[in-house]
Amino acid sequence: MEKKIVTPGELLFDFPKRLSGAYVENGKTYSSVVGVLSEGFFIPLRGRYAPFPGDLIVGVVMEERFSGYLVDVNAPFPGVLDSRDLRVEFRIGDLLVARVDSVDEVSNLVLVDPKKLLKGEVIEVGAVSVPRIIGRNNSMIDMVRNITKSEVFVGKNGRIFIKNGNAALAAEAVRKIADEAHTSGLTEKIKNFLEARTNEQSK
Amino acid sequence: MNKANKPELIIDGRRTDGRNLEDLRSVKIESGVLDNADGSAMVEWGNNKIIAGVYGPREVFPKHFSDPYKAVVNFRYVMCSFSSLEEHSRGGPNRRSIEISKMGKHVFENLILTEQFPNTAIDIDVEVLQSDGGTRVAAFTAASVALVDAGIPVKGFAGGVSVGKVDGRLAVDLNKIEDNYGESDVPVMFNSSNSEILLLQMDGLLTREEYERSIDLCYEASKKVNALQVDSIKKKME
Repeated sequence: MEKKIVTPGELLFDFPKRLSGAYVENGKTYSSVVGVLSEGFFIPLRGRYAPFPGDLIVGVVMEERFSGYLVDVNAPFPGVLDSRDLRVEFRIGDLLVARVDSVDEVSNLVLVDPKKLLKGEVIEVGAVSVPRIIGRNNSMIDMVRNITKSEVFVGKNGRIFIKNGNAALAAEAVRKIADEAHTSGLTEKIKNFLEARTNEQSK
Repeated sequence: MNKANKPELIIDGRRTDGRNLEDLRSVKIESGVLDNADGSAMVEWGNNKIIAGVYGPREVFPKHFSDPYKAVVNFRYVMCSFSSLEEHSRGGPNRRSIEISKMGKHVFENLILTEQFPNTAIDIDVEVLQSDGGTRVAAFTAASVALVDAGIPVKGFAGGVSVGKVDGRLAVDLNKIEDNYGESDVPVMFNSSNSEILLLQMDGLLTREEYERSIDLCYEASKKVNALQVDSIKKKME
């Protein structure tokens, strides 16, 4: 079946189905964001990060409190790091990777297992393009790592931490993947792009 | 407006800018025109030129305005000081723009799936760079595209047009002269997916039949606007 780009308000299924990027009205399912409909699956292409327990995210320390830290995780509300669980101290502006422990319906987001990120850069893309950046069985991200010789960590919240190697090229590749997330044959395209760039630069 | 020097608005069935009674002006919509906003759109509707930027969902400020059940929608409509033929001595809120901002808030509260984002705010800012009548519907049209560009979940697009009575006849999409010298002006907006009425205001007087006919005319025109909104989003995906 062919891939079809869907805009908000279009009928997806004529039966009710709970999925992200869609809503149910009068027993039918409609899209609420831009996405792709293919083979009975709807994949949203836009949207903010919605935290889920177990997600590994890249955050920035925003505020320091007696009880812990408030961390910007690219979600509509900040995450909280409890200082009782911590052995390291953070300063405002520090980058960290942490795991989402729990999130509830009144926007309390608890983070655990923080680890400082040092000497690298963070780029931000939409959280919806994260699965595409990782690829099936890490195929896409492994390819970027191998060719650019960079350490690349992809946070579920759409923040990507890049360190060492050809970091500029890795960042460019990740941005390209995010921009073209809805197209097919992307792995091949990115591979050609990376190889062409590396050849160009080694000349 | 001095009604004494009212020009003739319909001559041989044609309007001042050469349109037929049921024609829209040329409408151009572009999405994603700003880098720093989460979502944005630009609309050129005849001589109207309007830019919209959307932020959110993000934290509410001041915090006591937040709602634990749904997101708060803030809508800000502003006309630039150079936007109109008359003098708008300076930009910023005035009586007119406060009214339209309030209407915009109500339109988008009913369009956005606000219950998905409790304790947050969604900010929609619309700036009218150049105006020529019908800026209200054009501004909401732009804001609707900007919301979709930002990835904020909505039930559909808000599209519409204003219909008015000019020289005793109903005309679609009034421009400034027709608005100023016409007898009535009815801006209407619909939800593209379930055809719910999101905006309905009336200035001047209409008979019941004329009113019902103008809703029908608006509905037909809103479908054309919706098609352009969808195109502007799909164009970005190519």
